[in-house]
Amino acid sequence: MDQLALFLLFGAAMLVAWIGLRRMAIGLFCLAVVLTVADYLHHATDTLNLSF
Amino acid sequence: MLTPRSAVTLNALGLYAIALLLLAAFVFQFMLHELPCPLCLLQRVAFAALAMGPVLNLRYGPRASHYALSLIAAVMGAGIAMRQVLLHIMPGDPGYGSAIFGYHYYTWALVCFVVAIVLIAVVLLSDRQFDSRERPILGPFEKGAFWLVVAVIAVNALNVFVECGGNVCPDNPTTYLLLP
Repeated sequence: MDQLALFLLFGAAMLVAWIGLRRMAIGLFCLAVVLTVADYLHHATDTLNLSF
Repeated sequence: MLTPRSAVTLNALGLYAIALLLLAAFVFQFMLHELPCPLCLLQRVAFAALAMGPVLNLRYGPRASHYALSLIAAVMGAGIAMRQVLLHIMPGDPGYGSAIFGYHYYTWALVCFVVAIVLIAVVLLSDRQFDSRERPILGPFEKGAFWLVVAVIAVNALNVFVECGGNVCPDNPTTYLLLP
């Protein structure tokens, strides 16, 4: 569901850009990037078994 | 040196390349019957985000700030792919999913994001593309690129909905939640 919202947000940002609302499109893009990073941090909970 | 017109054509080609990458992920998903994990889906999200710069360049003409948005998306995608590579880097770890031409999806994704960063940097070297502030006149080639990417993103959204329903996607998905 979280990735569904992200795809829809990025798609919406592109459509908003296409209809001529550049600033709103960039704002939507920035919001989607922040949410993507937040979702990544939510899913990146597995321990990295690294030796260094 | 890129002219404003050739930069628009190059950005349209970039959109076709992104659509092709996302479609290739679909082909392997259905051919090999492998469901994408949350990190895999986030890499697809980052590929979709990568298309934002070319879309703005097509609509408003090439600007450095548009390329910057794609750079942010590429760095984000590379970070996510790198995380998944590191999760499976220990000797003996079979990795997640099948290997395509010797590498797993996330390794290919990391390569693609790094290539995207380098390509955007190379395109930014050409200053002539920023000379004009006029909005480009778009033909069917450029408009087709935009609508193809939007369609592929819509299909990806539908794919996530069928796979995970209204829930957070499981770490190791085995079935499509909304399919019998």
